[in-house]
Amino acid sequence: MVMDSHPSDTVTILRVRGPLEFRCQLDSTDALIIQKVISRTFETLRSKVKSESCVLTICDSPVIIWPNKSGNAPCEDLHQWIQTYEQESKRSSKKKNKKSSAVNVINLHLMMDMTTRGPASAPILSRTAQNSHFLSTTLPMDCVVRTSYSDTTKKACEHLVEALTHQLCEMEKVTLDHMKGTTLLVPEPLHFLLPEPKGLVTVVYPAGVPDSQLETQRRELHQRFELPEDKPYFRRANAYHFPNEPFKDGYLRNPHQVLTHPTLDNGKVYLVQGIYSYHHYMQDRMDDNGWGCAYRSLQTICSWFQQQGYVERSVPTHKDIQQALVDVGDKQSSFVGSRQWIGSIEVQAVLNQLLGVTSKIMFVSQGLELASKGRELANHFLTEGSPIMIGGGVLAHTILGVAWSETTGQIRYLILDPHYTGAEDLQVVTDKGWCGWKGPEFWDQTAYYNLCLPQRPKVI
Amino acid sequence: MGRGYIVEGAVEGYLSKLCEQQAGPVTGLLIGQSANQRDFVVMATRTPQREESTAAAGNSLDKEWFTEHARQVSRMLPGGLSVVGVFIITDTDAKDTLTSLRQLVFAAENLISSERLWSPADDDVTECVTLHVNPKTRKTVCRSFDVRDPKSMAKPADWKYQSDVCSSWITMSCCLNVDMLVPLPDNKTSTESMDKCLKEELRAWAQQIESGVCLIDGKKLPEDTELTSGQKRNVRQTYTTQLLISPEEQRLTDVVQRCGGSVSVRGAIHSRIYLHSYKPKAKLAEKLLKRDVVSTVATRVQMVLEELQASEEESKGSSRDKQQTVSLPRRVFCPVKVSGPVCVCVYQFSDEGLSEVTDRLKEMLDMDAAEQDLDTRQEITAEVIESGAASDATEPAVENVKVQEPQRNNYIGVAMATAAALLATAASMLYLNDV
Repeated sequence: MVMDSHPSDTVTILRVRGPLEFRCQLDSTDALIIQKVISRTFETLRSKVKSESCVLTICDSPVIIWPNKSGNAPCEDLHQWIQTYEQESKRSSKKKNKKSSAVNVINLHLMMDMTTRGPASAPILSRTAQNSHFLSTTLPMDCVVRTSYSDTTKKACEHLVEALTHQLCEMEKVTLDHMKGTTLLVPEPLHFLLPEPKGLVTVVYPAGVPDSQLETQRRELHQRFELPEDKPYFRRANAYHFPNEPFKDGYLRNPHQVLTHPTLDNGKVYLVQGIYSYHHYMQDRMDDNGWGCAYRSLQTICSWFQQQGYVERSVPTHKDIQQALVDVGDKQSSFVGSRQWIGSIEVQAVLNQLLGVTSKIMFVSQGLELASKGRELANHFLTEGSPIMIGGGVLAHTILGVAWSETTGQIRYLILDPHYTGAEDLQVVTDKGWCGWKGPEFWDQTAYYNLCLPQRPKVI
Repeated sequence: MGRGYIVEGAVEGYLSKLCEQQAGPVTGLLIGQSANQRDFVVMATRTPQREESTAAAGNSLDKEWFTEHARQVSRMLPGGLSVVGVFIITDTDAKDTLTSLRQLVFAAENLISSERLWSPADDDVTECVTLHVNPKTRKTVCRSFDVRDPKSMAKPADWKYQSDVCSSWITMSCCLNVDMLVPLPDNKTSTESMDKCLKEELRAWAQQIESGVCLIDGKKLPEDTELTSGQKRNVRQTYTTQLLISPEEQRLTDVVQRCGGSVSVRGAIHSRIYLHSYKPKAKLAEKLLKRDVVSTVATRVQMVLEELQASEEESKGSSRDKQQTVSLPRRVFCPVKVSGPVCVCVYQFSDEGLSEVTDRLKEMLDMDAAEQDLDTRQEITAEVIESGAASDATEPAVENVKVQEPQRNNYIGVAMATAAALLATAASMLYLNDV
């Protein structure tokens, strides 16, 4: 996936979130009647969303929109609210963010206007005594709508209400499909970013059902969106992370994305596909300065497999890695807790042991030979797209991509350096070359190298 | 420096009238608004006389009777008005009187605050006023107590009469939909357990209201915005408000639970507050409005439950209908002074006439209101539709999306449901006699 941006054509995503209360009394345990009651409750919520009491408030801004009331739009054009929004957010965040992505997300909160027209018809209290079941939950509504600058507010509102209504239909379907007796699962919407031109797609899954049990649903989705059938797009780990939502674990994601790619004569850029996190020395309160570089490179690879949805296993610690090597019989038990180096072959073994991932090993007896591996590396990034660990006679690194010219044979390597000991600061990491493009001279021309090229499982 | 109370001139006349009439000691309540900058007293009302006046009525104060009156009165106050203190007219020694006043003010506050479902705020005024009037010398002694601190000592306070205290007060109102559905525990659908469940729900609902967004004349105003536009006196300032809410993100309840039934409260209410005109802030207005919304619903639910409980006891709980529907009383307003904007309110049950409303105003607030003074336009009693199939009502009906202009004619001649008929036993006197 080439993540290039189109600065001229700024896409604005409107994201509405907000819980909706779902409550009903199920008078009978008869499945048909339960279904009827549930459907009717969803229908009530749909009409609420379409009613005049539906309100959208723009987060961190005083702008409030009644999408179903005519003639109440605060501004004619969408871009007027975007301006208001941007002014507000600039005021709140002092740091002028480098525009790292062309995607503009406006967050809206779904609320209900309790106000009604008078005179008020005083409430009625009604009690029903009947042994039955009561269903009570909140639906975590979460819709996205793509808009462009030129859209009118009215149109954007229509899209938003449509998206909310549609999501309620999807939720109803998921709720009814996964109903067993009186056990009900809360529907959970997730967004997935598909390759252009499909863009963001929202899918509703039943909360609590593991990915492994949802393959049928995923297969349907792959077919519907004409996606390759050997690569996960709709596992929960694939869910899109919005630019304004920081990752809670603190690791940097894809630092290479802010770099400018080298331009080679007739050259092309081949990059890691998807998301990895940057693992390096001294993280996780682990002092591995001087010996842990291959472990860190391995962690980066594991984070890639996890975040692409191939495995659910969390990124292994140094100890986990050492234990895995003991378990496969590669090392003595005294290895666990030691500060011994590992190399590409160990990385291959651990990936196989802990993630069930096979890897190809590429051997070069001299660093200068790496300059001629352009085609193989480019192919790896095209077909597998996983980060490569490179080790051997000297230090371990992670290769995230190559820029290679088929005609001239010129090559540049995108390197992620695990030897960094500083804080998670994107500016430092990219300015000082801890993540950066290197020429063939980067490699020790006479030392031998082993490259571990992890192969992605063919699954969805 | 003690607190300064600015008192409506009519209160002076009311108190001196009581001084002339009464032989024994008279107690009563002071109603007004306590704000951080100033305190206002807009009316005073005497404790009603107990029918079977106790033998020792001469000196001993009937504390329970007094506090029950305070509770009933506080239910009749729209947002912004509260029981701010107590008064006593007696010629006994000032020092002894102060002890009694202290007891009364604390007892009243305890009972009133026990009914509150909203959480107190840091900037709430917790100072209450006590006033001792000597009927012979007409000397008045004004003191204040911090009711949050049980050990608080009396502090001297200033009591100053002024005419038309609230003529330029701000009125803020809104009309809101209420829609609650609560499960009742398995095999326990009695009024008692309904009371418990509804209170719990009301508490959660109150929290939702508290975290809601309040719009004043369509705008979300910064907290410290001053609401008064100018110093124009006698110009009625009214604002309409809107309330936007969102349910709590995570409610830690099971998705499906067994239940013995359910209870719903559905309809609309008119909420209203009055604000002093001395540079009131949007924050205060919002706080008071949200409290009034919570109180007016909670009070009415409480009143209906009290009625149901009373009638259940009478009928020894034999009327365990599968389906029971009761209209909550409607809110009727009555101006405190014909000229001013400030009103008190009465909750009128569907089987009560306007004369009963005026009777209750006389009894509780010692107000002589005529039926034509009442503002009955804000709320209408909902029609209880007696649908035969019980299951129909429990299944959520698809709400009509279009807001219809209510057709007044449809509501005139309110149908009396069986349950509403039970309420016929309820006369206004019941409130006090039942204690």
